[in-house]
Amino acid sequence: MKANVIAAVVFWAALTLVGEAFALSDLFPAVGSDQAKDFDHIFRFLLFLGIPVFTVAVSVIIFSLLQFRARGPEEDGPAMRGTGLPPRIWLAVTGCLAVGVMIYPGLTGLSKLQSTGSGFGWGDTDAEIVIKATGQRWFWSFEYVGQDVTVIGNGREVVLPVDASIKFEVNSIDVIHSLWVPAFRMKIDAIPGRTTFMTVKTIELGTFADQQSFRIQCAELCGLDHSAMESPVRVVTRAEYDDWLASQKSK
Amino acid sequence: MYALKSVAGALGAGLIGFYLGIGGLGAVRALAGYDAWDTEMSITFGYVFGVIGWVMGAGMWGAWGREWFGLRTYDRKAPGWQRYFVFNTDHKVIGIQYLVTFIVVFLLGGLMAMLMRAELTHSGHQLFSNAQYNSIMGLHGIMMIAVAVAALVGGIGNYAVPLLIGAEDMAFPRLNALTYWLIPPVALTLLCTPLLGGIETGWTAYPPLSVLTNNAQILFDVAIITFGLTSILGGLNFVVTIIFMRAPGMTWGKLPIFVWAMFATAWIALLYTQGFAVSLLMVLLDRVAGMSWFDAANGGDPLLDQHVFWFYSHPAVYVMVLPGFGIALEMISHFSRKPLFAYRYAVGALLGILGLSGVVWAHHMFTSGMPNYLHGPFLVATELISIPTGLIFLCALGTIWMGRLWLTTPMLFALAVIFNFACGGVTGIFLADVPTDIHLQDSYFVVAHFHYTIMGGEIFALFGAIYYYFPKMTGRQYNERLGKIHFWWMFIGFNVTFFIMHWPGIQGMNRRIADFMSDLNTANLIVSLAGFFLGASFLVFVFNMVWSWIFGPAAERNPWRARTLDWQTDSPPPLENFPVPPVVRGHPYDYGVPGSVHALFPGRGAEEPPRPPSTFPGAAPAPAGGGGGGGGGG
Ligand SMILES: [Cu+2]
Ligand SMILES: [Cu+2]
Repeated sequence: MKANVIAAVVFWAALTLVGEAFALSDLFPAVGSDQAKDFDHIFRFLLFLGIPVFTVAVSVIIFSLLQFRARGPEEDGPAMRGTGLPPRIWLAVTGCLAVGVMIYPGLTGLSKLQSTGSGFGWGDTDAEIVIKATGQRWFWSFEYVGQDVTVIGNGREVVLPVDASIKFEVNSIDVIHSLWVPAFRMKIDAIPGRTTFMTVKTIELGTFADQQSFRIQCAELCGLDHSAMESPVRVVTRAEYDDWLASQKSK
Repeated sequence: MYALKSVAGALGAGLIGFYLGIGGLGAVRALAGYDAWDTEMSITFGYVFGVIGWVMGAGMWGAWGREWFGLRTYDRKAPGWQRYFVFNTDHKVIGIQYLVTFIVVFLLGGLMAMLMRAELTHSGHQLFSNAQYNSIMGLHGIMMIAVAVAALVGGIGNYAVPLLIGAEDMAFPRLNALTYWLIPPVALTLLCTPLLGGIETGWTAYPPLSVLTNNAQILFDVAIITFGLTSILGGLNFVVTIIFMRAPGMTWGKLPIFVWAMFATAWIALLYTQGFAVSLLMVLLDRVAGMSWFDAANGGDPLLDQHVFWFYSHPAVYVMVLPGFGIALEMISHFSRKPLFAYRYAVGALLGILGLSGVVWAHHMFTSGMPNYLHGPFLVATELISIPTGLIFLCALGTIWMGRLWLTTPMLFALAVIFNFACGGVTGIFLADVPTDIHLQDSYFVVAHFHYTIMGGEIFALFGAIYYYFPKMTGRQYNERLGKIHFWWMFIGFNVTFFIMHWPGIQGMNRRIADFMSDLNTANLIVSLAGFFLGASFLVFVFNMVWSWIFGPAAERNPWRARTLDWQTDSPPPLENFPVPPVVRGHPYDYGVPGSVHALFPGRGAEEPPRPPSTFPGAAPAPAGGGGGGGGGG
């Protein structure tokens, strides 16, 4: 029994090491916003925590397959009923893990994401740049508030300045859509009759042509051309952004 | 030919009902000055009367309906294979009807998955238009959900629960037959949806899209409302059966773990299924009766539907997974030849999940634009559910530890359930935590996650259970070598397909799309190829089942030397299950406990232990009463 336990623990540790090495690999698309940095950090943290849990199950199963194999039902195993301490320890450990994850990164991350209790969305309620995003089957339109600039239709570029907080006020005029920018790791649904919002802080330059995660796409099934409902995003310097706004106005 | 009479009667009466419904409605409409034909209203009425005609024609009229008018009822006593085609009230027949029907649905749904993966081998369009893809995807979704909800509960549950608790049948046998006979019209109606433009909304059918979409939605609504009805009636039947039909001495503390799992499952099905039905009923009323539950312009709220829908559809996950846990633990104990580790904790876990399942639904709505204050409580409740789920793992891992693992095909499937669900459980944490869910919601990460839990957890358990009960059901033994080939083929195919699928999700590939970004070409090609490999594994299964059912060697009454009651009767069992009613004495899983007896058959001699355990050599008599299992393999 004791030798088996030690061997199984060694096996678990080895498997866990391999797993954690995998967790270090490059998993994420381009980072375009502050929120994306947080996401990548939290994702990796949960992965580091989750892998040892997963390998507990895997190592016990594989170890038992190798070590406790029988050819048939000839013999019974020991009558271990699992009463007393082992299940209590298990309960305490899993309970602590669950409550721990609940608090960090769960509730702490949530409080960072939400600035209001009664609103419908992520991040601060005011921002330097406000864009009204309206979903419609099957394209988005983006109205730059106070700028008299509107970008309508699939394939038309949405240009954003870097190092700015940008608030999308999201709406729909027909069915439910969802505004998702993978490079920003943020999404919020567009619902008829309710204005939702998400505020992101851009931190890196990037274009759809170089990195496809710089795009706005619909993430809620909205019928026929749902898969085509997307707009490329270009994050540029402030000067380029001003030029772009001016060029759009002149049109 | 009773079978022909029954099926033709069902089809005939169904068609007559269908046209009567349409005609009756048309007459009333015409009298009131409207057009006689209104596509959606006419189909709804035709469907309702068609389904009534179908079940009556299938034999419900003779076995049940006549009673309502003071007439004498009769049963169609069909011999041999024909008994599977009549309104049969034997729970063993109904279980097999469910299993075969849903295996067919599973294979059709799998075919849809193959078509989807063929389209997704490369970005751009390969085979299908967006409309065709959406329709195939919707059908795949709802068919597989139906399989997941009903195949294990209706198939294995119906077959095994009365046997495991030592009962003669379910509490309400005719109700049981009705729940099965409502299934074929549901399947047929769903398969008709492409004729009206195809399901455009996925299986979730969120309004306003489901209100605005094509006429196929009406078929989807009426079919799934009927399906919900069978789930509710089945849940009721199991709850009553498990409370009132247990053999003498079968106390709650001696109940096999699968029965406990079915008990928790049945409560969930009974209490929550209404949610799905109501959400679809409201969509139906919006469409047919012009109401505006979900029309924001007229005072409705689109999010209302998601709350009602997930109020059922999260608990539904446990309708799928709990019986999977139950049957996997059952098999793990028998094939490890050890008592079920921490049995009481496992029961507590099942009941704990039952309790928590109703308060976590909005974790599907973290990005839906619901008010911000709802996120915290639902995050907390969702994380809490991992504690009882963890106890199921303790129970499984503790049982195999130091066991005498007999690696039969069902045991391999049971171990795979634990392996796969461990992976699905860990990825679930990323979706329960709002900060990570914001990005992952509605991505392929979610698709990979729920295939790990539902297919990896439940469908693997279902296949394990089919192999496990095959000798009991058919009286023949399946081919073990083919069984193992199927297992490894499916296990490898499954894990390659769905493990890799997490990655495009993290990269930003949204779900339910016919086309994706070209930088994900390689990953999707690998997933598609692995998916085809996975799909091919079921050919081995089908061949093994069909061939073994016809040509397989005769099975013993207890080929697994299991202690539970289901294995103490003939294979296949007689109509009344146990020629002599059993009296339960000890725990079902007391392997390695000298002299322990689970059940006695008064007048037939002790049935337990059927063979001498090694710790207690030569002490037990050979089992009495026929079967090939005499003396055991020792
Ligand atoms: Cu959309
Ligand atoms: Cu859920």
